[in-house]
Amino acid sequence: MYATKQPSLRIKQADLKCKNGCGYFGNADWEGYCSKCYRNHMDKERQRKSNQSQHGDHSKATSFSKFEEKKRQQSDKKTKYFLPVFRKPSSLKETGRPEKYIDIRQMNPDADKLLAEFISAYGEWGEAVRKDFLKCVHSFTSKIIHELDFKSADELADIAQNYYNSYNNRLNNNTVYQNVTPDVRDKLLDFFERYSMVGLYTFLFCPPSTNDEDKDLSIQDRIRKLSWVNAHHLDCCISETSIEVRDLVYTAINDLLGMDSMKAPQEKLACVVRCCRSVVEVLQHCQGGPVSADEFLPALIFIVLKANPARLKSNMLYVTRFCYGARLMQGEAGYYFTNLCCAVSFIENLTAESLNMAQQEFEAYMSGEVTCVSAWESALVACEGMHQLCEHLSLLKGLSERMSAVKDDTQKLKDDMRKLKEEINDEVTSVLERTPLVIKPRKTIFPLTMEFLKSLPPLPEKPPIPDKGKEVEINQDVDTAPKFYQQNITLTQMGLSDNKPKLQLDITPCVNLPSASVVKPSLSTDFLSVPSPAADKSIESITPDDNSYLGLSKINYDIDFSDISAENSIIEDLGESRRSPTMSFTPDPFSPMGTGCPIMQSPLVPSAAEMPRVEVPPVRKNDFVLPFLEEIEKEDTKKETLLDKVEETPTICLPPPIKPTEYTGFSKQGSRIPSIPCNTGDVSSLNLQQSAGSSKDTN
Amino acid sequence: MSSGASGGGGGGGAASGGGNSNHQRGAAQRPNGQTQNKICQFKLVLLGESAVGKSSLVLRFVKGQFHEYQESTIGAAFLTQTICLDDTTVKFEIWDTAGQERYHSLAPMYYRGAQAAIVVYDITNQDTFGRAKTWVKELQRQASPTIVIALAGNKQDLANKRMVEYEEAQAYADENGLLFMETSAKTAMNVSEIFLAIARKLPKNDQSGGGGGGAGGSSQGRRLAEGDSGSRGPAGACCK
Repeated sequence: MYATKQPSLRIKQADLKCKNGCGYFGNADWEGYCSKCYRNHMDKERQRKSNQSQHGDHSKATSFSKFEEKKRQQSDKKTKYFLPVFRKPSSLKETGRPEKYIDIRQMNPDADKLLAEFISAYGEWGEAVRKDFLKCVHSFTSKIIHELDFKSADELADIAQNYYNSYNNRLNNNTVYQNVTPDVRDKLLDFFERYSMVGLYTFLFCPPSTNDEDKDLSIQDRIRKLSWVNAHHLDCCISETSIEVRDLVYTAINDLLGMDSMKAPQEKLACVVRCCRSVVEVLQHCQGGPVSADEFLPALIFIVLKANPARLKSNMLYVTRFCYGARLMQGEAGYYFTNLCCAVSFIENLTAESLNMAQQEFEAYMSGEVTCVSAWESALVACEGMHQLCEHLSLLKGLSERMSAVKDDTQKLKDDMRKLKEEINDEVTSVLERTPLVIKPRKTIFPLTMEFLKSLPPLPEKPPIPDKGKEVEINQDVDTAPKFYQQNITLTQMGLSDNKPKLQLDITPCVNLPSASVVKPSLSTDFLSVPSPAADKSIESITPDDNSYLGLSKINYDIDFSDISAENSIIEDLGESRRSPTMSFTPDPFSPMGTGCPIMQSPLVPSAAEMPRVEVPPVRKNDFVLPFLEEIEKEDTKKETLLDKVEETPTICLPPPIKPTEYTGFSKQGSRIPSIPCNTGDVSSLNLQQSAGSSKDTN
Repeated sequence: MSSGASGGGGGGGAASGGGNSNHQRGAAQRPNGQTQNKICQFKLVLLGESAVGKSSLVLRFVKGQFHEYQESTIGAAFLTQTICLDDTTVKFEIWDTAGQERYHSLAPMYYRGAQAAIVVYDITNQDTFGRAKTWVKELQRQASPTIVIALAGNKQDLANKRMVEYEEAQAYADENGLLFMETSAKTAMNVSEIFLAIARKLPKNDQSGGGGGGAGGSSQGRRLAEGDSGSRGPAGACCK
């Protein structure tokens, strides 16, 4: 009896016999029958089917379920053509057919291309040839579509083959083709097949009446399970490590995969041929010399296993059914297609024996328990792995370099920060060291400053005397202030010397400047009223000088001590030169620069400068000073801003440093007051020179 | 090279270079061809255990006898060769098969529709002769009934290591109606002769049944595969 699907190493005669036991040999594709018995069997089947279909409902149900199944698995493109699967009454079909025929032309843009190709290629043979060709194609396609719903795929294939043969006969015998050369006749036959099959592809490829799709899935699954099979198992000498060989293998795989995208059977065949030629090339690379079937078939099996093409069985069956038979039996295409069939058949029936391995080992591989170290995969994996490894290593190296760089930088930054901190601390301490000496004793020396303050508004030194009452008040106020502004004071004091006259000079401008326009009139209305214009100018001019002083730092102070008059002149020059480009606020920026520690305050200078302006004008001098200090004392939260403001003023007032230490308290006051006026005074920078000159004169 | 031998054997058999296969197939298929020099195309299958020299035999036939062979694209697996026999041009299309035992069951696909087969064995290896016998049996049962089978004892140049006696093989061939020759692909002995003998034995009439002309053979082969023409008897497996 015919043993289906279990090819053992040796086929015994009994295995090959027909299932019916008639003595003839059977065949797997005839379900194990010999040809005669198979035909009888099929006839019976057909009869049974037709009986069923006459009964109606049953077949409808089955075909519908099948249709559903197909629909589930297949893409939607075919669904519209599945409708006929419902065995409709014939009357309906009559109407359905022409629609479908129209569809063929419309659904296939390829058909028009082919027609154009036909005209360009065979147009020279005349209109008659073309007409006859199209007539035959039309008759063929309409016949197939007509039969589509009634006949099985194999029967349709018979019809197609008959049409091919009859058209071949027509080519040879009909007078229309009398003048056509044999070569062209062959091509016309090919074209006939191609043209009609491209149109009918959607109907005939993997038709719903067959279980082609199941076969596709099963072979796909099978190949997937066999993914561990490698060239070594198949005794084929593909050297998987050679790049050249691998490229060729990929080419072969691609060719094989391309089969699915072709429509005409002969195009699919062409793909197979290309694939097989690539395989031959691979083998020639690997072993050299002529490639015999002994090497070729295993290699092809290997390729099929590695490619696992989509819809493999559907494609093969489609080609088998609808390709002109002669082409499958002969020629290179036929040979290679046969090899492909053999390869697939081998894969389907592959056993442990056929791979020369123990059953247990085979099963272990199949079940996935053991993963095979396939040279092919391992080579690929190794190459890719190595490649990735290298890439990752270099990446890591770069990252670590960057990391270390970042670390270094952070360390450096830390050091810098620490250094900065230390520097600042040192600076602060050093500053503190210098300052503390001066601060407290000076507070007591107010009277002097008071005098100065009084004298401030009117630059001329005489006026201060009458305002003594006011001075006292101011002094009291000032007492509190110094505590908060120790630093500022210190700064101001840095340059302070015992020279009272100088202090007077410096302070006066400072005080005057802020209050220049507004304060003076308010405070000493009677006295200042007259001289105010001139005095303002002079004061303004001086304040900037003081600021410049700050910038000059200690050196200036030294100079100040020695020569008051000279100092003023120098300061003026510097101040002017610096001021000229920038208008009112320039002095403020300079002051922080010069002071060093108070640098922090610099940014706030403008705001600070503005603030005093606003506040000062409305309030009298006394009022102004007091609230200002009070605010600072009370409002700890605002300390910073207030302090800054206050500090700025002192910084601006730094010029006073030249003043004697005793007067620091006043200087603070003065500084505040002056700072405000300074800004306002700056507005009129043109008068600086004059004022400077006046200040000198006063001194 | 050995055209002289072929001439002697075939009575005017002469060689002509391979041409356009399509053209020849077409011509062979067309019964209306009035040309005196008829073109017949035959499919010939090479069977036999691996390493018995199937491919070297056919390479000798195809390459040795005719100086030119377009090897660039095709290996030794599929070859065509054309020879002239009397007034007929015979084109052989030679299909090599994988000889390994594991592929044995696939053989029917190859010899389906073949008009001729050469079963090759190695005279220095008794086992290969045994395999050859099974091939012959299988062919007689499975293949087209009119198939022309030739038995070739290859590696005759190694006759001193002979394991299969000439007489034994000759007797077997006679029994089964086979053509038999001992050949040597290495020395080209009897290589073209055996092909010529096959060519002579093949029916040249296109209309003749069995494996006659290309057209008849092909279409019938096709139909056989479909299982529709039972009259032809059992044939090889369909490609599936």
